[in-house]
Amino acid sequence: MSTNTSTAVAETPQRRRRRGNSFTAKDRAVIGGLVGFPTALHILLVWIPAILTITLSFCEWDGIGGIADIKWVGFRNYTQIFTLYADFGPALRNNILWLLALALVATPLGVILAYFIDKELKGTKFYQTAFYLPMVLSLAVTGIVWDYIFRNNGFVNAMLGADHPGHTISWFGDPHKNIWVVLGIASWRHIGYIMLLYLAGLKSVDPSLREAAAIDGAKEFATFRKVIFPSLRPVNVIIIVVTVIESLRAFDLVYVINRGKNGLQVLAVAVYENILGESARIGWGAALATILFVLCIGPIMLYLYQTFKADK
Amino acid sequence: MSEIMEDGVSRRSVLKGSIAGAGALATTGILGAGTATEAHAAGKKVSVGSNQSDPAAKKNDAAWVAAAKKAGFDVKLNTVDHNTFQNQISSYLQGTPDDVFTWFAGYRMQFFASKKLATPIDDVWAKIGSQFTAGYKNASKGLDGKYYFVPTTWYPWAIMYRKSVFAAAGVDPKTIVTWADFLNACKTFKAKGITPIALGDKGGWEAMGTFDFINFRTNGFKFHMDLTAGRVKWTDPRVQKTFNNWKTMFPYQNTDTLDLDWNAAAQLVLQKTAAMQVMGAFHASIYTDPADLADLALFPFPEIEKANGREAVEAPIDGYMLSKGATKNAANAKGLAGFIGSTGYADAVLKVAPTALFANSKMPKPENAFARQQVELVQSCKYIAQFFDRDSRPDFASPIFSNAIQKFLGGGDSVAIAADLQKQWDALPSA
Repeated sequence: MSTNTSTAVAETPQRRRRRGNSFTAKDRAVIGGLVGFPTALHILLVWIPAILTITLSFCEWDGIGGIADIKWVGFRNYTQIFTLYADFGPALRNNILWLLALALVATPLGVILAYFIDKELKGTKFYQTAFYLPMVLSLAVTGIVWDYIFRNNGFVNAMLGADHPGHTISWFGDPHKNIWVVLGIASWRHIGYIMLLYLAGLKSVDPSLREAAAIDGAKEFATFRKVIFPSLRPVNVIIIVVTVIESLRAFDLVYVINRGKNGLQVLAVAVYENILGESARIGWGAALATILFVLCIGPIMLYLYQTFKADK
Repeated sequence: MSEIMEDGVSRRSVLKGSIAGAGALATTGILGAGTATEAHAAGKKVSVGSNQSDPAAKKNDAAWVAAAKKAGFDVKLNTVDHNTFQNQISSYLQGTPDDVFTWFAGYRMQFFASKKLATPIDDVWAKIGSQFTAGYKNASKGLDGKYYFVPTTWYPWAIMYRKSVFAAAGVDPKTIVTWADFLNACKTFKAKGITPIALGDKGGWEAMGTFDFINFRTNGFKFHMDLTAGRVKWTDPRVQKTFNNWKTMFPYQNTDTLDLDWNAAAQLVLQKTAAMQVMGAFHASIYTDPADLADLALFPFPEIEKANGREAVEAPIDGYMLSKGATKNAANAKGLAGFIGSTGYADAVLKVAPTALFANSKMPKPENAFARQQVELVQSCKYIAQFFDRDSRPDFASPIFSNAIQKFLGGGDSVAIAADLQKQWDALPSA
């Protein structure tokens, strides 16, 4: 940091302290309550279960009996998951594919759509609604709609002339194809979501920024890349986080299609099957959940770190 | 009906909230609500947890609860979605379970008995024992030799077919005894443009029935039970014999097995585009037209090794158990268990479900022809298996074995699949 900014930095704590002193005891109680209560809830409902889950991931437990029945097994669950669990490889691969598809295709498309819709083209309201519709539909409806499109005697096969019994293309049943179909459906939902988030951000961009850029002679793309995009940093953070979380917690879509089997394995289904199913391999499932947690938190922390470092 | 029939959507929606990473501990006690604490009309109060959430099954429950009321029991019935009930069973039994609950015979019953989550009911069996044959008695005992289970209804697995389809193709099911007979019949159907065997395994469990049959026809009943219980290794060469025999069926199966669930595959038989399905007798539930139902029949799965004949069959038994909490209400709960084991229960259910088959040997032979065929099939067999996912560990059957079967049906290498299965079995916690 350069020397002339350091004086400004030194000033701020003083100002802040002065302001802090003006709080009455009641103010402090109110603020303490407002901050403390949600924090306590957060710790109780999020962090304690999370830490317990991580602890359980080093244990063997069938969910029956108390703490005395929980056996400490160290890293055994993890080594077994990585070396023996036949579904782990496909699940990890699918989650990564999911992340790549959303991050490289769906999210940029959503941003582009938002950009054009923000230009108030003719029929903007219609497009906006149409693109957001997939997000509004319940998953059961989504599942049925896409099933009609991709089932063996469905729309796609009919278009391809592959709807005779015995000569059908199996979109959902073939483990080499179904993940791509599902990624398409997931992107279809995700684009609208990102579009809406980004549109809200674009609406808040100060119009004078655009004017200034236009006066400086910046072209369309340059304005977006150099002026608008950087000014939307908070929205960008949200979008990255949403994309990572959406792709790694993927569950409902594959579960509706075939219970997350046969080429559609994802980590969340593996967690569910092992913990909540009748099998009750709690420690094993907790280890899978922990792996999922690390995968989620890793890219997000990295991105946040980068962003806030640049902010300083 | 089969405990694993899927309605993925409903199960998903119930549990959707609890899958996010840290849900490991959050689910205990979801089912715990609703013990018989409310003050009710006079009568011996007993609470019953039921997984009979299908409309038809609900009717059965209502019928026997009404009959129990006449017998002096004030039954408080808590019906929970079938899949949810099953998935939450261990937290349910550890929470505040109902006094009596629906469950299955086999490994799954013995598991909870050995975990001390069930109440032994030898005194109930002292009263109802004379109404059951030895097979049911054995199927109702825990590993400690005590009774824990009251069997009520059952259904067999076999090859389901339409008489008219067989007649039109000139195939007489009575002549299908050996594997060669079976494959010949398949050839005949194929030549006539009919898919010989309808198989759907989208849910991962449906084809387990076929695996079980081929396995105990090939290697004998004892081998099958040893394999499902882990006493024989999956790497045993005899397992490969089973897989290889199954492969001889592949040319006669529909190619989209992994796209169809059992229901969609059964529809192929109903609509006469396929000739046969290896299925539980609940195959009949999609035959809504009585004329179609009258056309439905079954024949036993063909013989593969002469030594094993056709002496084994899959016939899962459904029934009731007493939770550990029932000790607080022991007299009433055991009284009701006695009623459930009696013909009073069976008579009431029979009135609303004429094709149901009862474990109680004092019940008259069913009038319905299809139901009678099922009774004759099972009576001709020496050994009864429960079904893979009831005979094996739940942490193996659903998350591990069902995926392996799908891989096999998708053309996977059976040697590699078997080796994988053994590795994953070895990694299971000791039960």
